[in-house]
Amino acid sequence: MLKIWFLVLALITSITITSCTKKEDKEYDHFVHYPIKANIKGIDPIHSSDLYSSTVMAQIYSALMQYNYLKRPTTVEPLDADGMPKISKDQKTYTFKIKKGIMFHDNPCFKATNGKGREVTAEDYIYSWKRVADPKSVSDGFWVFEGKIKGFKQWQEEASKAGKTDYSKPVPGLEAVDSYTLKITLEKPYPQLLYVLTMNQSSPVAKECVEHYGPEYQNNPVGSGPYKFKSWVRNSKIILEKNPNYRQETYPTTGEPTDAANGLLADAGKKLPLNEGVIFTEVVEDQPRYLNFRKGVFDIAEIPKDNFDTTVKNDELVPELASQGIRLGKYIDDDVTFESFNQDDPIVGGAKAKHLRQALSLVIDPQELITKFYNGRAVPAHGPIPPSISGYDPSLKNPYKGPNLEKAKALLKKAGYPDGKGLPELQYETYAGSTGRQIVEYFQQRAALIGVKIKITVNTWPEFLSKQKKRRAQMFGMAWSADYPDAENFLQLFYGPNGSPGPNNSNYNNPEFNKLYDKAAVMQDGPARNAIYRKMVDLVVEDAPWIFNIHRKQYVLTHGWFKNYKRNMMILNHIKYYTVDSALKEQLKKKL
Amino acid sequence: MLAYVARRLLYLIPVIFGVTILTFVLFNVVGGDPVYQKMGKHGSEAEIKILRHELGLDRPLPEQYLFYLKQCVTFNFGRSWATNQNITDMLTAGIGPSMSLSIPAFFITIVLSILLSILIVFFRNGLMDKLLQVFCIAGTCISVLVYVILGQYFFAYKWGMFPISGYDSGWDSRWQFLALPMIIWVAVSIGYEVLLYRSAILEEVFQDYVRTARAKGLTEKVVLLKHVLKNSLTPIITSIMMEVPLLITGALVLEAFFGIPGLGGMIYQAVANSDFPVIKAMTFIGSVLFVLANLASDLLVSLVDPRVEFN
Amino acid sequence: MSTGTTATVEQNQVSSAGVSLWSDAYRRFKKNKLGVVCFFIICGYVAIALLTWLGLLGADFSVNGPDSYAAPSSSHWFGTDIFGRDVFARGLHGTRIALSIGLATSFIAIPIGVTLGAIAGYFGGLVDDFIVWFYNVVESIPDILKIIALGYAMGRGISTVYISIGLTTWVSLCKLIRTEFMKHKRRDYVQSAMAIGASHKRRMFLHILPNVFHIILVNLSVRFITAIKMEVVLSYLGLGVEPGQPSWGIMIDDAKLEMARGVWWGLTCASIFMFFLILAFTLFNDALREALDPKLRNK
Repeated sequence: MLKIWFLVLALITSITITSCTKKEDKEYDHFVHYPIKANIKGIDPIHSSDLYSSTVMAQIYSALMQYNYLKRPTTVEPLDADGMPKISKDQKTYTFKIKKGIMFHDNPCFKATNGKGREVTAEDYIYSWKRVADPKSVSDGFWVFEGKIKGFKQWQEEASKAGKTDYSKPVPGLEAVDSYTLKITLEKPYPQLLYVLTMNQSSPVAKECVEHYGPEYQNNPVGSGPYKFKSWVRNSKIILEKNPNYRQETYPTTGEPTDAANGLLADAGKKLPLNEGVIFTEVVEDQPRYLNFRKGVFDIAEIPKDNFDTTVKNDELVPELASQGIRLGKYIDDDVTFESFNQDDPIVGGAKAKHLRQALSLVIDPQELITKFYNGRAVPAHGPIPPSISGYDPSLKNPYKGPNLEKAKALLKKAGYPDGKGLPELQYETYAGSTGRQIVEYFQQRAALIGVKIKITVNTWPEFLSKQKKRRAQMFGMAWSADYPDAENFLQLFYGPNGSPGPNNSNYNNPEFNKLYDKAAVMQDGPARNAIYRKMVDLVVEDAPWIFNIHRKQYVLTHGWFKNYKRNMMILNHIKYYTVDSALKEQLKKKL
Repeated sequence: MLAYVARRLLYLIPVIFGVTILTFVLFNVVGGDPVYQKMGKHGSEAEIKILRHELGLDRPLPEQYLFYLKQCVTFNFGRSWATNQNITDMLTAGIGPSMSLSIPAFFITIVLSILLSILIVFFRNGLMDKLLQVFCIAGTCISVLVYVILGQYFFAYKWGMFPISGYDSGWDSRWQFLALPMIIWVAVSIGYEVLLYRSAILEEVFQDYVRTARAKGLTEKVVLLKHVLKNSLTPIITSIMMEVPLLITGALVLEAFFGIPGLGGMIYQAVANSDFPVIKAMTFIGSVLFVLANLASDLLVSLVDPRVEFN
Repeated sequence: MSTGTTATVEQNQVSSAGVSLWSDAYRRFKKNKLGVVCFFIICGYVAIALLTWLGLLGADFSVNGPDSYAAPSSSHWFGTDIFGRDVFARGLHGTRIALSIGLATSFIAIPIGVTLGAIAGYFGGLVDDFIVWFYNVVESIPDILKIIALGYAMGRGISTVYISIGLTTWVSLCKLIRTEFMKHKRRDYVQSAMAIGASHKRRMFLHILPNVFHIILVNLSVRFITAIKMEVVLSYLGLGVEPGQPSWGIMIDDAKLEMARGVWWGLTCASIFMFFLILAFTLFNDALREALDPKLRNK
């Protein structure tokens, strides 16, 4: 009997001992250690709709354009394109010159060159975009080209009908004039084209590699970006190492006025990438991610909601953390959270229910919402457009912004439901997650104050989506993050023809709005377009298909040894700018 | 005996067949719709149609069922809808980390709980027994989240005894990451197991033969260890074997919090994403293991208890 | 063909009729002081559930207070939650949900388990084979997957929780009842009932069922424990009762985040409520079994 006891004890102690003798991996000292909040689905540009997978992809792959790392509002600049494109007078033809000497990463799939990566050409772009359109790819990224590039939609439809995709069939709007010249012809002017050419689905992939790896390509990505894929343990971590053959690209020399003071220009003009590689660790739960940061395992962390009070006091980092060399950065995210009403619904939808929706908008106290659920890290939203997006109008004051219970009650009466009488219980759809559930509960409680009863249903994410897309959800809450820095990306959410299953899930359809949208869609950025945008915003504010809640702010902690961090949700290829001071790291880690 | 085993193995076929029908009905006929999620936030009617076609969702149900049956038979479950991974690869990748955590933890739990339950039975009429029993019930009422959150905060973060989370696939280097979740596993499950074994042993204690043994003048220790334990092995083995199929899936919450890339997290993801091919594959494998474990436990019981006959 | 369970050793049989069994059991149960105490604790919980249901107790459970996350004090024994609501009142209301889940799932699972078990055990043969096959299939699929799938089919909410837990937990009872019926149908009293021409239905439900009723009773208290624990798991997966409802599962799930800010009272409150209820059910169940189970009677 005692023998078993000893055995168990020995086992436990041996495990404890091995766990105490941590092996320090010197090899990864100069690497960026970056936590990722969700499990990565795959590293293939045809599937880049989730932020986390896209972040990993953006380091491996390259694109024609990118956003300037430091300038705000975000401005687009050439990356692999040799200068800005030549744009025809009618704005329907873009001619890109592609830089010479941009090579794919070395990989065994390049059999002709014995594993050495070959040069990226215009043909590679056309192949890669056809791959996004290929029905067999079941890509989620074709919306950026669909209906925009001439004949591309027909190309996809024909491929779908044929049951087999013929890549040799040309797309009328895409032409490789020579190896370094790509000519794009559009159906109609598309002012957002340069923005979408920064996105992952426009990145070039090599045909040889896609064919070599087949469906396993997503686990063996081969790109032309600053980092090479090294290894990936699914649901655990991805290691990328510096691409030794990365072409000449340097750290920007100018930025916002405050950048120099913040030390963001210390590495100006230096060759990128500034570090040896990156380890992305997938950590889905908040606590381990945050604690690992505090221990110095990760270089960077967002502050979880419930750790906020012990981290930040009076909008400043607490002294304990500051003394450890940790720094706090505050950034506003280009997003909006909202409650949406299905306009097809007989109770909450349509012009006749306008006052009901306005009344519900008036019950919410944005300040209370922000303090309770966001620790003050948000600003109230008066319309759909976030503050840092071109087209945002700071003078906009939404007249239905709460809290104003008196006005809400008056409007409810006007809607035909005095004190909520006669109004059936409203059905609110949400998806699982503790914080989200509490926010909905808050809304439910506020609505009850004017006599409106709300029933909440918690769905899994796919259930939630399909209810929306099938127009079966009466009300639901969501957030929308910008795909690119143009207010059009938010206004399209109200464009009638975009109704479910498209992105306009409130199914708002106002002919006047649609007309304005069509007009603005082909206009370049400028005061004239902004004036139209404002008119469109006024329409949705009055019709209230959404309750506009807030624009979120993000407070990010970085360690003293980790430099050049500047956040923007749209800039995904940011890893190449970071430096890791390993001498300082060793020193600071002792304090943690 | 061999004939019995063969007969039981043959019986696997109708049961597994039933399982495939039930899972198919549950997920393909009444289940959710994955298309909208796969499409991303932009999308159009035409694209949905294309997507449905590529996923085979527009084919008639009997055809879809036959396809699923074929997958089960050939053990080739196709690809995940959510991540497009080969499901067989996912399973082989996840089973290692899961079992590295679950098997040692399970073993330690069983050994400790058998010892503890004998101890309890030994003091069965005293306060000690009641106290331990209350303690065990309390243990089953405390959420695993408490152990995880406190364990991570104090043992790993404050006192630095373990890494906070993470995993390394190296054979030596994985244990440092698994130690803390293993300890938590034992702490969480021991109460339940002890209660189970305690009642199994207690049922034997009151049997006639025990009285006879005592009457013959054997000491309580000998009676308990030699006679009672041996006879209460039957229910204990049965309950242990029933838990074996669960071992491959590891522990959902522990894996999520400790970043262990095992099957538990995979199931959680698959459920959250309506990833039916993965769910169906897991259900199929789970049920096959369940039936096999059932058979194994019957055989084991017959080895320790010769009174049991096959029929 | 028999499957699943191997034949266990036949215990010394009790052929006494139903009535003496029950009075016997009652006498035996009364002697077990701990069991009686636990019975009263359960009654206390039932009283709490009824009183909260009628709004006579913890009526302020959904009233928002000025302080979110106030620490326990004399006015709020277990502090307040994010909305400033009294946690203790919510814990009291959790009793109502926990017991209603236990009760509702029993109403679904017990009739299914008993009917199928009775039919299988009584008739045997092909019917038995089919039912055994059916419960083997149902049992082979992990519970959580069955619940999730049923959730897809029925939508979300507390009724789904009732039905899905109910429809997945009848197998163990069905097995027990089947075995008992197989034993009892050969007994003299059933044979003589047949001789006087009682119908199958009469024999099954009027003659045999009262004799195996103690199994159902014991199963019932185990079932409450299972259902209460399952609700917690479902809440973690986001498949539990609807938001705004004060369930222990939701209180525990919220704690996942709240613990980081040092808010331990919500979790503690729910755990304590759960602990005493489960403790009471477990010990009560033990006492009940000792009183009813022929195996343990020789004590």
